Amino acid sequence: MSGVKLEKICKSYGRLEVVHGIDLEVNEKEFVVLVGPSGCGKSTTLRMIAGLEEITSGDISIDGRLVNRVAPKDRDVAMVFQNYALYPHLKVFENIAFGLRIRKESNDHINKTVAEVSEVLGLTPYLDRRPAELSGGQRQRVAMGRAIVRHPKVFLFDEPLSNLDAKLRTQMRAEIKQLHKRLGATSVYVTHDQVEAMTLADRIVVMNDGYIEQIGTPMELFVNPANTFVASFIGSPPMNQMPAQIASSSAGFQAKVNDEVTFALPDNARVEAGQQVVVGVRPEHLSLNAGDGASAIPISLDLVEPLGSEALLHTSIGEHSLVVKAETHGDITHLSEVTQVYAPVHLVSVFDAESGLALTTGQRG
Amino acid sequence: MESSQRKHAAAEGSSVRPKRSLKHRLVWLVDHLKNEWQLYVMLAPAIIWFLVFLYKPMYGLQIAFKDYSIFLGVKDSPWVGWEHFQTLFSNDQFIRAFLNTIKISALNLLFGFPAPIILALLFNEILNATYKRTAQTIVYLPHFISSVIIAGIVTTAFAPTAGIVNTVMGWFGLDSIYFLTRPEWFRPIFVGTGIWQEAGFGSIVFLAAIAGVNPSLYESAVVDGASRWQMIWKITLPSIMPTIIIMLIIRIGNIMEVSFEMIILLYQPSTYSTADVVNTWVYRQGLQSGQYDVAAAAGLFNAIVAFVLVMVANTLARRYGRTSLW
Repeated sequence: MSGVKLEKICKSYGRLEVVHGIDLEVNEKEFVVLVGPSGCGKSTTLRMIAGLEEITSGDISIDGRLVNRVAPKDRDVAMVFQNYALYPHLKVFENIAFGLRIRKESNDHINKTVAEVSEVLGLTPYLDRRPAELSGGQRQRVAMGRAIVRHPKVFLFDEPLSNLDAKLRTQMRAEIKQLHKRLGATSVYVTHDQVEAMTLADRIVVMNDGYIEQIGTPMELFVNPANTFVASFIGSPPMNQMPAQIASSSAGFQAKVNDEVTFALPDNARVEAGQQVVVGVRPEHLSLNAGDGASAIPISLDLVEPLGSEALLHTSIGEHSLVVKAETHGDITHLSEVTQVYAPVHLVSVFDAESGLALTTGQRG
Repeated sequence: MESSQRKHAAAEGSSVRPKRSLKHRLVWLVDHLKNEWQLYVMLAPAIIWFLVFLYKPMYGLQIAFKDYSIFLGVKDSPWVGWEHFQTLFSNDQFIRAFLNTIKISALNLLFGFPAPIILALLFNEILNATYKRTAQTIVYLPHFISSVIIAGIVTTAFAPTAGIVNTVMGWFGLDSIYFLTRPEWFRPIFVGTGIWQEAGFGSIVFLAAIAGVNPSLYESAVVDGASRWQMIWKITLPSIMPTIIIMLIIRIGNIMEVSFEMIILLYQPSTYSTADVVNTWVYRQGLQSGQYDVAAAAGLFNAIVAFVLVMVANTLARRYGRTSLW
């Protein structure tokens, strides 16, 4: 039995269709992250699961029950909002207890449950404070506490960390992950931050313009992107992409970017000679050292960006730019002398120039 | 190096900030005026208006303590101390007017103050935008009608023979009542008229406050299972409570200013026992009987009572509600 199932879900506002018939199955206890740029329909999809938005067509099932016409309160879901949605006039205890009070639970049950949840979230010392007296991270924990306290079948998170600073976001990300492990509840999480998606998700759903571009585990999406959009959206920095033409030789197919730059393609590339393609290679997959069958790419170094243990080399190959992620080993002086990098053949991606769809099949990496 | 600088800065921060000298502050003020003079120019008309129309007339308040003669003027009239206040408190009609003011204000506060809040909450629940706009226009309209017209409508509606109220009562076999000559009917009619005229317009400020409530609070409550009624009680009302408190304090400050025009237009000697308020009494004493000094004493008393009330309300609001006017 699945946690949440979306079948051909469409959402329109007047004549404007913003979600175009998406299908998605979230398994029980799975943590699925909907990721995509602003306006791609991910929050709308989440709100349709919560029942805060009506669906225009299609079916939504939660725990095997069709909930198209079921009120949000009867769907047994809990939602954590981007701006916390804490009641400013209520203390932390009452904020957490709100859902239980609405459901007219007994005071004993409320006291016991709130105490348990606040202990788990480290909120016990703050139960007498109002939201205005809490830090951003503490407020977010209260928001999660309010969701947890009801023991819902499905947790819905709508960009819960986007109001936090980078350091706190990293900390809260780890806490959410640990909490999910502990509670084992089905969770659907919306974010525009691909790092959040990669670190939290069991599976990621990449959305763009109201469509699902790809569903897969973080590593599947990273190594085998289904199209150029996913390739550029997942990964930081994004995958290097440049137009090329397919040439064939006795060694196999190559993607020729210009007279000097040619990428050898893996055997599973479904291409034909003369075909216009987009060749892609991730910055972290480019190496400064030659390897077996790796294509040597002559580069012109523009800039070295040190990040600590790694550095980003901003380079040019003809009119195209190429970013290389290289290890520094505590020193970047040697990086300024790099004139050639190597693309391992099995880590080169190739996409159709017109449709943007991947032309490599099977597992890699 | 940086670390030692940080320690030094922290040590400085922990010390008591030195008090700035008068000269230093004057220099700051001159610089400030030079930089921000445009803002002070824009503020000037409002300050001048206050000085000319509200502060300068306070000079004339001294006649409350003088035997005022229009021939001697404010400055040369002889002082009489508290005599006019003694006159006031030994005057049955003033005591009656004072008590009527309190009673009418209390009724206004009890029924008139919640009315715009309730109206705003009701408007907030209307989902159809066209219906909402139409309803709002209809209830705002009486505010823009002159008090004279309103009084005319009320007089006509409650007229003993052709008035709509008596006509409807006649359908149910009830005897006709000449409402506006009956003291016991004056206050309900007056308070009701005030609500009809002002509740709609007064709801605007509460609607604005409601519009400022974070929509996520409602969405979160919907997911938690709250009904519309629960959301009104547990989210909307607490969220707009600071606005309600501020409006209440302002209202309490005006408690002695019962709608003077409307009372003058609606009352008559037969209803003085319930309708005569301090302002109408001051009007009759001051302008009609020429006792300007006694009227000024009554006006000053009125203002002091209002001042004390607004101070008490503000202090209570600040202490218990964490919201106050200042």
